[in-house]
Amino acid sequence: MVDTPAPIERPPLRDLILRKGKRTIVGADPQGLIRGFFAANSSVTIIVLALIMIFLLKEGAGFLGTYKHELEIYRRAGLEFCDIVDRPLSEQQELSSKLRRAVTTSVDPIIQGVRARRDAAFLLKREVEEQTKLAREPLAAALEKEPAPAATELDPLRQQVAAATQQAAAKMNVPDVFTADEAKRLRDEFAKLTPEVSDLPPMLMELSAAFTVKDKEAKQKFGPLVDASDELEEAPEELRGVLDELKEEVLATKEAATTHFTLEEGRQKLLKAASKAKDPQEKEDLIKEADASKTDEPNYEESIKPVLERREELIGKVVAYAAAADAAAVNLPKEGGTAEATQLLTEVRAALPLHAKALRDGVESLRTWKQDKPVSIFTVIGAFFFGTSWLTNSSWQDFFGFVPLLVGSVVIALIAIVIATPLSVAAAIYTNQFASDREKEIIKPVIEFIQAIPSVVLGFIGISLVGDLIKEISEVPWLGWLPGFPIQERLNMFNAGCLLALMAVPTMFSLAEDALNNVPQAYIDASDALGATKLQTVFRVIVPAGLSGIAAAILLGLGRVIGETMVVLLVAGNRIAIPDFSGGPGVIFQPAHTLTGIIAQELGEVSRGSAHWQALFMVGIVLFVISLAVNGCARAVVRRFELPKA
Amino acid sequence: MMSNESANPFAGDQSSAQRRETTVRWLLRLSTFLIVAVTVSIVAHIFIKGAPITFRKEFPFVNVKFLTELPGTLHVIFDKQGNAIETDVNGADGIKKQLGDNFREEKTISYSGGGILGPIVGTALLVVVSVTIALFLGVCSAIYLSEYASKGKRVEMIRLAILNLAGVPSVVFGLFGLGAFVLTAPVLTDTPHERSLLVIPLLFTKLSFQGWDTCVLSGGFTLAFVILPVIITASEQCLQAVPQGFRETSMALGATRWQTIWRAVLPFATPGILTSSILGIARAAGETAPIMFTAALAFKDKLPWQKDMPPLPADAGMFAHWEQSVQRFLGIFTESVQALPYHIYTLAARIPHNEYSERAQYGSVFVFLVLVASLAATSIWMRRRLRGKYKW
Repeated sequence: MVDTPAPIERPPLRDLILRKGKRTIVGADPQGLIRGFFAANSSVTIIVLALIMIFLLKEGAGFLGTYKHELEIYRRAGLEFCDIVDRPLSEQQELSSKLRRAVTTSVDPIIQGVRARRDAAFLLKREVEEQTKLAREPLAAALEKEPAPAATELDPLRQQVAAATQQAAAKMNVPDVFTADEAKRLRDEFAKLTPEVSDLPPMLMELSAAFTVKDKEAKQKFGPLVDASDELEEAPEELRGVLDELKEEVLATKEAATTHFTLEEGRQKLLKAASKAKDPQEKEDLIKEADASKTDEPNYEESIKPVLERREELIGKVVAYAAAADAAAVNLPKEGGTAEATQLLTEVRAALPLHAKALRDGVESLRTWKQDKPVSIFTVIGAFFFGTSWLTNSSWQDFFGFVPLLVGSVVIALIAIVIATPLSVAAAIYTNQFASDREKEIIKPVIEFIQAIPSVVLGFIGISLVGDLIKEISEVPWLGWLPGFPIQERLNMFNAGCLLALMAVPTMFSLAEDALNNVPQAYIDASDALGATKLQTVFRVIVPAGLSGIAAAILLGLGRVIGETMVVLLVAGNRIAIPDFSGGPGVIFQPAHTLTGIIAQELGEVSRGSAHWQALFMVGIVLFVISLAVNGCARAVVRRFELPKA
Repeated sequence: MMSNESANPFAGDQSSAQRRETTVRWLLRLSTFLIVAVTVSIVAHIFIKGAPITFRKEFPFVNVKFLTELPGTLHVIFDKQGNAIETDVNGADGIKKQLGDNFREEKTISYSGGGILGPIVGTALLVVVSVTIALFLGVCSAIYLSEYASKGKRVEMIRLAILNLAGVPSVVFGLFGLGAFVLTAPVLTDTPHERSLLVIPLLFTKLSFQGWDTCVLSGGFTLAFVILPVIITASEQCLQAVPQGFRETSMALGATRWQTIWRAVLPFATPGILTSSILGIARAAGETAPIMFTAALAFKDKLPWQKDMPPLPADAGMFAHWEQSVQRFLGIFTESVQALPYHIYTLAARIPHNEYSERAQYGSVFVFLVLVASLAATSIWMRRRLRGKYKW
């Protein structure tokens, strides 16, 4: 028998090819681990979004509580009581200044001539002095020396001054408000100017005297107007007097309360440290220290009493002042010396009764005001979201009202969008439909390049170039009919809006161009086949079909503009007040502050955890929510009007 | 000629419709080139005003002092002849003594003297840190989105998050960086700070959530998240652009998913990813608001690595020297720095304007714009070249 060899042991072919026992790392499949690693990385964006929300809330959420507490002190200490009168009363200053302006503009045409002569002469004198400064200074210094230097020492200096002055006076460019004789006299007199004589040259004295006479004359002519202005200025003196005394008293209460709460906070910290301290001696010391800093909360009921005792006196003064304001409105002359003055007078006459009424309405609140009325959380929310003043580092009371900032941001964003939308949509249509390849080679990189210009550089351009440019243009006489021209401030909302428009262009352009690109070719072919011209195809087929994308582009541009910080911080003018819309569209040339700008400007200077700090984080939360909402809207628009895939 | 024209059937007929067409076309062209003209004139303005400060007519043709010195206070001393002498804080007294009686007046202009080396170095550090972090996270995210993920709720959420993150205002990133990195991020320390949020004792030391303070690291992380959406989107596009066939071939040869990505996808996508990330660098260098509270200082008289260290004893061993060098290196990242955009903000908004501050302003803006613009231009140019090079 022949032994058949035993079959060689070998694994089945199937196992060889598909290895069953895969390599594992701690029991996990390495491919799965790699996949998991990348998956984890990709969740970073979600995590970051969540963290942004968490940290904003962590720092900002306490705001409502802190602010509520501050408003409680504001009420209980009686500051609110004073503000009932103080707020409407602050309008009086504005009205008063308007009247003063009416007086000046009325008087102006009469005194203009003499004033111009006086001012021109003084200006010339200053110019001469400025030009001879290098010669004058050593003489002036020598004259002040103790003991007085010898005449021989002074003489060369005197000669130097005289020579320089004569030269400067001869070179003097005398304006034509002076006759040739007068100009000669001025030259002669100014040639004798020296630091040793402080009296004015006789010609200057004459000019000043002429001005004074003319001024008096003019004031007499507009006597009733001047009187009315003076009366309105003095009318609230008594009321102010009482109010200021009351304010002083309540402020003392508030300060006592603030000190108390600050100390109390420190005490709690000490006690907490004491409870943790291990060393009994240390513990005792800490507790002792804590006890030493113990203070009582001021007794609000007691401290408000003297204020409330004078309630009727205050009301009496308010009523008297309101009556005076009403009377002033009646007595105000109808006509000013110029159209502008008449306009101002009309404004003041219309505003005075309202002003008086606001004060009278306050009387009722003064009577019913109670210090122990609780401050509800809704009041606090209202005070933040609908508050019209953002006032910080004030010696009276800090207010964190969000409206002025929001209005600034929104107006600037609207200006930017109104400028950027037509430009970038037109550019997108042109580049997409009409431009030759060579033009595209220029347009696309340049617009892409705008995106790379840092915002701080654009802000700097706004300060150094655009501001002056706009101001110069606004001073061109034949453009005077435009609203708001000539402008007062170089840095204003329009300036910021222009630069932000430039920043929004790349975003809007590329998104709009994508939208136009995505219009199915079949639409265009169909339009062509029907015999439409190029323009008809573009504006009746392509643009309507891409409209949702263009709308999304505008929305995203808006998001970009609202969130932009550096340009508005540098260029918008940073005045925290609701712009005055009464002047019509000219409002865009006023300065404003913005949501983003306020954070960047103030966060560096506030202490951590204060109401101000928390308020800034609240503004950040609002900004974050706005940006999410804008993004959501853009997506919704795109999805709602999406074209069927061709 | 007149007769020939009517022979051409495609010649314009000067009808009102055609005139309208031409007008509208010109209007569109005009607004397009208005944008181009405004951009070009802004850049030209900065070049005209800034180039004379940065460049010199004689050898070595650049203003070496401006580019290699730290910013400082500029002292301008006037003598009685009306000459102005510019100097720094150290030179002021010497010149005053030298002038003696001839001295008339001294003006000081903050931040406007010296050069801008400090801000340049600070910006470079911030960019390096932020781009390193953002590239790592961004490319990994893009690999997941492009290579692994299938359509589903999770991917939807990630894409939504990327879109939303791209829309978050930069100043909000600043607030986030302040809250998260400056005030809360964890550090290893033996002595936790009082305000620490949470202290976890470890073996030798403690992990304390007390934040990193304002420093390069805080600013770098904040900036990284600002540019993350840009990097993810760009990287994903580059990965998607690699033809599907490459992956299929690799898989058919038995390679695993990871081998496919590593050998068949990434090598072809990397140039594109790097190119697009240059745009991220430009963005990171240009942002001001995120670093205002997290990293930037208005003034610093030292470079980040010139930190004071206790002098080593003479007999210190190699190890001690080595340790100090490492500490010095790490110290770079835990120091706050000056940064170019913040320096420009300080110059533009915080000090009064005059001819001397204007010089510093235009000089810094010019250098900054040239740096950022050359980055952006490189990116745009390379992308064009790559598009031509890889055609599948």
